[in-house]
Amino acid sequence: MRRLGELEAEIMDRLWTWNRPATVREVVDDINLTRPVAYTTVMTVTNILYNKGWLLRGKQGRAWLYSPVRSREAYAAALMEDGLGASKDRPAALVHFVENMTEEEVAALRKALRAVGRQAKP
Amino acid sequence: MNATPVLVAYTALVGFVAPPLLVRADWPHRTPAAALVVWHALALSFSLGVALTAYHLAMPAGHPHAGVLGLLHSCGLAVLGSGADPRTAARVAVALPAVLGLALAGSFAFHAVRARLARARHRRAVDLVGRRSARLGAVVLPYDVPAAYCLPGRSPRIVVSDGAVRELTAEQLGAVLEHEQAHVTGRHHLVLAAAEAFHSVFRLLPVARHVREQTALLLEMVADDRALHGHSREALATAMYEMAAARTPRGAFGAGGRAVLIRMRRVLGPPRAPHRALSPALAALAVTVPLLPLLATCPLGLT
Repeated sequence: MRRLGELEAEIMDRLWTWNRPATVREVVDDINLTRPVAYTTVMTVTNILYNKGWLLRGKQGRAWLYSPVRSREAYAAALMEDGLGASKDRPAALVHFVENMTEEEVAALRKALRAVGRQAKP
Repeated sequence: MNATPVLVAYTALVGFVAPPLLVRADWPHRTPAAALVVWHALALSFSLGVALTAYHLAMPAGHPHAGVLGLLHSCGLAVLGSGADPRTAARVAVALPAVLGLALAGSFAFHAVRARLARARHRRAVDLVGRRSARLGAVVLPYDVPAAYCLPGRSPRIVVSDGAVRELTAEQLGAVLEHEQAHVTGRHHLVLAAAEAFHSVFRLLPVARHVREQTALLLEMVADDRALHGHSREALATAMYEMAAARTPRGAFGAGGRAVLIRMRRVLGPPRAPHRALSPALAALAVTVPLLPLLATCPLGLT
């Protein structure tokens, strides 16, 4: 039994890659190319994603068509901003590699690199 | 004789005299892990000092008009409507340190839990949006700017942008990932939460700011040192530069900029091993410092 999160990721991955609205049936058929999965399971998880606000849906004939609310890149950018501490109220939640810096500070970094003869891109 | 002046002097020493000296000293950057222990010992010791001072000030020392309550009473103030009833005073004397202890513990729990919830929310989204790379041991997000961070905790993730994967050399990326891995395996988020808790309780005092800032900086240095075990100084320093430079245009608040500069100078500078006697000496210091306020009051029986 795979974790719920993995199936969620598989569904989102397909909808982002196809870049068009799709039915649960299409998603199930595509997942079934690599492993068996029940239609009802995918339908349930797709519904969860819709309720969590990751998917939009609209009716076409008798079938629901699902599409991502935002592109993968848009979500990634929002996550990165969050992860890199763009939000001011950053608790001890995330530890990032370098902080946001001013231009003067980056110039000082470049100088420090130069001082020991290392090459840095200008 | 009274223990209170000794306690007050000790607490002032740990809380106001020692921190600026420690900030200016240069040995902490050579042994960041030991320095972290000393800073947290200092914070613990200061908390104990404040708690015991409060206790001694409130506790009536044998005669009815001693202690804060007695003093207020003699000034004509009826405290809690009962005057300087020694039993009330004793209760207050016990309650003050207890309240401080609870505030610190509660604050730690609050920060740890809040951070954990934020990380869990973030992690669920990262798992949906990113692609797991078994080779890197990280989740890769489609984002052009080279960047990396980690989500420490029980189900940790290291997150890198595909900009970082594209633009950094394998050696640089390796150093960055090793640095993040050090935060995860070292459970640095708990140390940060402790510093955050201390800061919340004593937020008006400079020592609180010092503890929080130095904890963050020293943890980065610990992670840098870990990355240097398997990677060159040059790789780590240039990776720092590439990532810092790529993100400058945003520049809304460059609060951490100085810290990166300090780290980079340290990484590039000549390796200076700490004196051999330093670490045992520091360990001894870190153990004794928090106990001193207790020694100063209890066994000597200064009353």
